[in-house]
Amino acid sequence: MRVLLLTGFFLLALCGNNFAEKVFFQQDTTRKDTLKAVDLSQKKEALFFKGLLPKSVSKQPADLAIYPATSLQQALKGQAPGLYVQEPSGEPGTVQQMYIRGLSTPLLSKRDVYQVQPLVVLDGIPLVTEEHPFAFDIQQYDYNRAGPATNLLAGVDINNITSIEVLKDLAGIAYFGPRGANGVILLTSKQAGIKRRVSFNSYFGMAQRPGVNTINGEYENNFRKQFYDRYTPNGRYNDDDVYPLYLSDSLNTAYYGPSNWSDSYYRNAVVYGIHADISGGSERASFRFAVGNVKTGGVADQTGLDKYNAFFNVNMKPLPWLQFSASVNGTRLNRVRNKNLRDRFAQMVYIPDLGAPLSPNKINYDAYLSQFDNGFDHNFNNLVQGQGKLIFDLGDFKFVSRLAIDYNEGFRDLFYPRTLMEGNSYASNYYGFNQRMVFDNFLTYTHLFNKKHLVSAELGQSTQWDTYKYNNSYAYKGVNDFIKINLLESDPNNGNYLNPLAFPKPLVYKFLDRTKQNLVAFYAKGSYSFDEKYTFSLLLREDASSNAQPTSRWLFTPTLSAGWNVKKDLLAGNKFISDLNFRISAGRLGKLNSFDNYAQGPQYTADAGFTGNLTAPGFNAFAVLTRPYTFGWVGYGIPWAYTDQLNVGFDFGLAKSRFRGSIDFYTKNDKNQLIGVPAYAEYGYSQAYEPGMNVNNTGVDLLFSVDILKASKKGFGWTSTLNFNLNKNRLKALPGGRTELVIGNRYLEVGQPIDQYWLLQNQGIYNADKDVPQVNGKPMTYSGIALHGGDPVWKDLNGDNRIDQKDKTLMGHILPTLSGGFQNQFSYKNWNLGIDLYFNLGRQLINQEMANRFNFINREGTVAMTSVKEITYWEKRGDYSKYPLYNPWSTVIPYRSDQDLFLENASFLKLRTISLGYDLSPLLKKKGIERIYIYGSANNLFTITPYTGQDPELVDYTGYDSGYGMPIPKTYTLGIRMEL
Amino acid sequence: MKGNRITYFLLLLAGFLSAGCKNVLDIDSTRTVGEKNMWNKLEDTRAALLGTYSLTRAALVDNNAFWIYGDVRTGEFSSPTRQDLKAVINNDLNASYPVLDAMSNWRRWYAVINSANIFLERVRDVKIADPRYTENNMTVDIAQVRFLRAFAYFYMVRIWGDVPFIITSHDGSFENKPREDKDKVMVWAEQEILKAAADLPYKYSANDIQQPGRYYNEDENRWNGVLARKLTAYAILTHIAAWQGNYPDVAAYSKFVVDNYNKGGNSYISTDELCSSGGFFNAKKYNHLFGFNFDYGHQDGSFTGHLEELTLAEPVVNKSLPDIFMTKDSILSIFNEENDERFHLDTLGRPGVERYFSNFNGKYPIFSKVKVIMDGTTDPSFRLFASAVVFTRLEDITLLRAEALAVLGENQGAIDNLNTIRQLRKLKAYDAVVNGDLLSAIFHERQRELMGEGHRWYDLVRYNRLRPRNQKFIDLIARNGIYWPLSTTILGQNPALQQNSYWK
Repeated sequence: MRVLLLTGFFLLALCGNNFAEKVFFQQDTTRKDTLKAVDLSQKKEALFFKGLLPKSVSKQPADLAIYPATSLQQALKGQAPGLYVQEPSGEPGTVQQMYIRGLSTPLLSKRDVYQVQPLVVLDGIPLVTEEHPFAFDIQQYDYNRAGPATNLLAGVDINNITSIEVLKDLAGIAYFGPRGANGVILLTSKQAGIKRRVSFNSYFGMAQRPGVNTINGEYENNFRKQFYDRYTPNGRYNDDDVYPLYLSDSLNTAYYGPSNWSDSYYRNAVVYGIHADISGGSERASFRFAVGNVKTGGVADQTGLDKYNAFFNVNMKPLPWLQFSASVNGTRLNRVRNKNLRDRFAQMVYIPDLGAPLSPNKINYDAYLSQFDNGFDHNFNNLVQGQGKLIFDLGDFKFVSRLAIDYNEGFRDLFYPRTLMEGNSYASNYYGFNQRMVFDNFLTYTHLFNKKHLVSAELGQSTQWDTYKYNNSYAYKGVNDFIKINLLESDPNNGNYLNPLAFPKPLVYKFLDRTKQNLVAFYAKGSYSFDEKYTFSLLLREDASSNAQPTSRWLFTPTLSAGWNVKKDLLAGNKFISDLNFRISAGRLGKLNSFDNYAQGPQYTADAGFTGNLTAPGFNAFAVLTRPYTFGWVGYGIPWAYTDQLNVGFDFGLAKSRFRGSIDFYTKNDKNQLIGVPAYAEYGYSQAYEPGMNVNNTGVDLLFSVDILKASKKGFGWTSTLNFNLNKNRLKALPGGRTELVIGNRYLEVGQPIDQYWLLQNQGIYNADKDVPQVNGKPMTYSGIALHGGDPVWKDLNGDNRIDQKDKTLMGHILPTLSGGFQNQFSYKNWNLGIDLYFNLGRQLINQEMANRFNFINREGTVAMTSVKEITYWEKRGDYSKYPLYNPWSTVIPYRSDQDLFLENASFLKLRTISLGYDLSPLLKKKGIERIYIYGSANNLFTITPYTGQDPELVDYTGYDSGYGMPIPKTYTLGIRMEL
Repeated sequence: MKGNRITYFLLLLAGFLSAGCKNVLDIDSTRTVGEKNMWNKLEDTRAALLGTYSLTRAALVDNNAFWIYGDVRTGEFSSPTRQDLKAVINNDLNASYPVLDAMSNWRRWYAVINSANIFLERVRDVKIADPRYTENNMTVDIAQVRFLRAFAYFYMVRIWGDVPFIITSHDGSFENKPREDKDKVMVWAEQEILKAAADLPYKYSANDIQQPGRYYNEDENRWNGVLARKLTAYAILTHIAAWQGNYPDVAAYSKFVVDNYNKGGNSYISTDELCSSGGFFNAKKYNHLFGFNFDYGHQDGSFTGHLEELTLAEPVVNKSLPDIFMTKDSILSIFNEENDERFHLDTLGRPGVERYFSNFNGKYPIFSKVKVIMDGTTDPSFRLFASAVVFTRLEDITLLRAEALAVLGENQGAIDNLNTIRQLRKLKAYDAVVNGDLLSAIFHERQRELMGEGHRWYDLVRYNRLRPRNQKFIDLIARNGIYWPLSTTILGQNPALQQNSYWK
């Protein structure tokens, strides 16, 4: 099959011998041996597809750079219809997620989140956008991935980017293969011109300390007292009941004194960015070199991100038919992490006694913080992306060969002194790298026949090698606080050679892991355009992945796209319609598995651990092999998953393009996906990975701009741009013809959305035992336990007088139904005012933080993560009056979070940026300054939302607001842009 | 000219297309072992055999299940803050806490069984492929695996009653099986263990007639008390017979253990040995008649999966409140004899010894019988424990023997066996006038001796079957309430299963 196709295309490519390149592009008047010609040849490619792709981002990169973002995700948030960015914490440099056009799989774990992330391509380099989640396999807690856990896309400096495209439908993404199946964000870096240019961009500003209400032990005590007054006769629920010590003593100023911890926790933080570049060259060679430094201080917990970036690209044309281009992007990311107790305990896998939480008093809190001074937490990444490309230009034929590498390494060196944890010190060292190497070759042929028939063919091959590796070690109980690293005996003649010296050998833990994923692809693409009116393109791919099972390693997928320029064809004379283009694309594309386990079929691993001790090393100091019972059963016969998509779009311009935009309707069916089905417990497995999950996403992307006042030299200009994505997802099938699936606290039902909560419906409170409904003298039960006065009224949906899973319903949406941005640009003479709004509608979340606060009985006094109280425990968030006073001691757990009592509407409208700029260029033009622009911006000024908790944005993929998200601060900047 | 170049590039391209695909795509995972790389050599059987042991250990201690089933459920301990344990104490086993849900889930036991089934189906592949793997090695391995599988069934029947009975791996063609009658499963388990016992040696790498030479080329010390031995099998047979109420068999099986314990390197242990932090529960030893070690030196120490996690608190370790403790009144009613080396009050009402309980006069007496902190230190700062989980020991079997003889009417034999233990703990010989009813005295002794070793709940069930006086307990037994409910996770997966009637 493959061979046939290839032969066909070779023949097609060879039969054309009439080279008439200049006819395509009348503007191509430069000599062929200069770099300009190359630029144009790239542009040609872009033009060729223009009829097939819409405009996807509302603003130019230079305008996106007004927002003082640390990451690509932040810069793009609300700017591209169909791209949804999750920012679960305002802590600078933390991982953020992106979803293009809804969800193709239910997000049950961070593995799933990783699997649906879009591909980011920088100058042809498919970037490693996130560290591989395989490290979670040995982690007790999955709050953060082991290592630096830094957002790798912070490595992209937007000042180096000249264009950003978000490719969403197959016409755009199929070219990138299965890695692009979740959508592609295409970044193109600035290229040098012939003229020497120096430019300089900088901003300086401040992130403002948030205003919070603090509380102390007295407040908490009074809060709890209501429950004791109501449900206990004498302040004790029963003989075993224990009131926490820290609330018992009202004379203890540590808890009952002033609650001013926030002065040490929150701050006004400095943010700045500085970027300079120089570019230039000659007819035959040009280069661009840029350096930048961005420092983003977090407003909470002394966090921050410091990044240094250098970018270099070069283009050369040594021979008329040969061009070479290369680019290198290097970044250093230093991240100062938070000091959350939770994250620290999770890192240490050890929870000390939690009897005394942090004191809300500044003096005590400062004393606690000062203990960190004796330790360190060095958390940094080095990222290098590089590519070299050779273009053999043979007239109509071109052959391109490209080698690209993305290598990034992460380090975390950590030492916690003894004082921080009951006399036990802790040291940890992590080193890991993610490496992707790409070798692409393709041959293109382009020709215009009879000035009307534009024909193009491309034949290519791509090989990608991915390697992910880490070494992680940690140790407890060092001999003292002065030796902060794990020293080893270095004398080979010593019997103790290579054994730890400063930490006890049995308390030194070491982990190594490595995984690979290789991809091979062949593709052929043929395109035809008739008189720029009708365009057709067919792409045929054959992809193979080393993570696909050997029996189904290859997948063949076709994509067909077509464009019809209605304006040119039918409406050439129409004055009102200035632009109308119709697009359609349909086809199929494979989806990757990120884990090599699935390729193995039935397999063996070391599953010697148990709850709370995942990493048991073996048995009796022997390595063991068992089936992966905890991970789940993997059988044979797992096929490729793929996505079938249909996209119909229009691009339009009315009244001399005063009204312009694109609208796209799409439907995506992601089929044959693997899902861990809880099954076969009687064979030891926690679940079985079975293929056959199909999910449909249907929706609309809209990008619409209006020049309300057309800008002129002297007068006012006002342009409004609205973009949004409306998406609906539906589960179409489950493996083995199942119609429903319960996985933990999630419920999946065929025909229903996959991002819903599964909740009990709360209808109030039973004030007394007698209020509980009875059937045949038996009171209503919750999972077998009789309900009593003080318990919640949960709706008995099936009327069997029992509240259980069958009484839960699917409600709400974790991801918004509608999300987007609304931008307004005003101009007057040289002044410029921009107002950016960002909104989410049709999204709900669970206010877990509030549930936790009320569920204090179950979250006190035990040595477990549930009892950890951060310093922010002493901050008043949420509306306490919303919730009935249930009996918190009840074993039905009245304040459980799986009920709609805590489900809240998380729709919001945010003022993301307001910016004012002045263009000084006309004044300074004579002094050799090409362009100078000064601006000020204010960001995240307000949020309008019905949500009563902290900020509806600060939620991760689960939709549960744990309260751990740091606020996204109000940030004010002043900036300047200069070009010489 | 141009044509030549084109040809050249086409050739180049064709070269890329055909070369090296297979090398790029066929990668053996470094993270898991595929089927083709397993069951080829002796190291594979060792890894699989010890894997089955490790799964058994995991099933026993997961969420501290062994002690929650055996000690917490009796209600003889109290819990100050853990709501889930309070629910267990109050027999609210349906309460929706994660720990209770895990307790109601038998998956980990079936992992042991599946691992054993696969071993038994595949072990002969290794015999054929690796000449180093001897016939005897295979025989002993098979006997251990059969023993572990039968033990898993015995354990599950005690917890859930009827359980699905599966003795083949069903790899890739899993079926949802209904529950099998618990008595049938027990009879099968007894037969299996009897057969295994015939092949098991008394010791490994000790030139036992049934296991000559070095077992897996390791010395005796490496296997000391680690693996299932002949006495282990008979000890578990004793337990099976006791649970069945088949006391003649209890007497017969226990006799084998009591008569032959010297051969297995076992001995009765002193109270000091029992309770010292570096003593009986530390590391691995023959006296663990059936035990699973967490040897600190092997880096097997862990924060969870030990009795200490539940019982210890200030001043023994840095933890303000214990998860479970025994009230003073209970302690005094149980340790009510003079000079008991485990615990007694002196004439002034002060603790005479603090082996079983520390901080007796504090609000929470700490049950500190087992306290293997790291390698058996007294350093309270780091709650990493290394105590072995011991399913049974010689004293347990001796008392079971006393119980059987008492039930069978051989009172003198029963008293002799009871006195063996009483003398060990420096108690006066059994006196019917002082100590009351013989059978009750035996159970009382079991309660003291084996406290915190996961026996008490099953003892109570047997006792209440023999002496049905406690109406609540009679009711529990009659309505099968002695079994645990089945987790909704399990019920949701397998439609052939029904919830235990008591918990419906």
